[in-house]
Amino acid sequence: MRHLALAGGLTVLAAGIAAQQPAASPSPPILEVGAVAPDFSMPGATRFGTLRGPVRLSDYKGKTVVLAFFFKARTRG
Amino acid sequence: MNAYRDQYAQLFRNGRNIVLIAISADRDTALASWARDAEYPFLFASDSNSAVGKAYGAFNAQYKLDNRSLFVVGQDGKIAYRATPFREIDPTAYTELGAALNKLVPADTTAR
Repeated sequence: MRHLALAGGLTVLAAGIAAQQPAASPSPPILEVGAVAPDFSMPGATRFGTLRGPVRLSDYKGKTVVLAFFFKARTRG
Repeated sequence: MNAYRDQYAQLFRNGRNIVLIAISADRDTALASWARDAEYPFLFASDSNSAVGKAYGAFNAQYKLDNRSLFVVGQDGKIAYRATPFREIDPTAYTELGAALNKLVPADTTAR
């Protein structure tokens, strides 16, 4: 009987630990072809230095804009 | 980014009617110094709070960085092409991107 109670207690403890693990936060859905591209405003840079004003998608209306997301500067990936 | 640089003239027409913006969570100063050292001829933008990565679905929740992925926004402001993930070491990724850009920006409009 004591063994059973102990086992039950351990199960509860294990469940408690599992519940404390942060749930894997889901990545947001990827924008579909045909969707309106959300406007943005970000600090910008070129090889000549940082830009004074932000980079906005709406600044390039009427142009074709390629948005190339990447992991980290000075890495291959 | 080196492939983008090396194919900038051919793929992105040297920026004529095509604007290439490379986006990561790095600070603008880090992006500027990297662009200077590697002589990248295109624009960088700092998505330091990942808001843009989240809006486009490029954000990687595990690493809290933006995944390598690519979106082409057409002149109508809509997503015309996407490569998610963009397979940067696969030459066909660039062929596909080039074909998509050629459809959107006919070569004759950028002649000279």
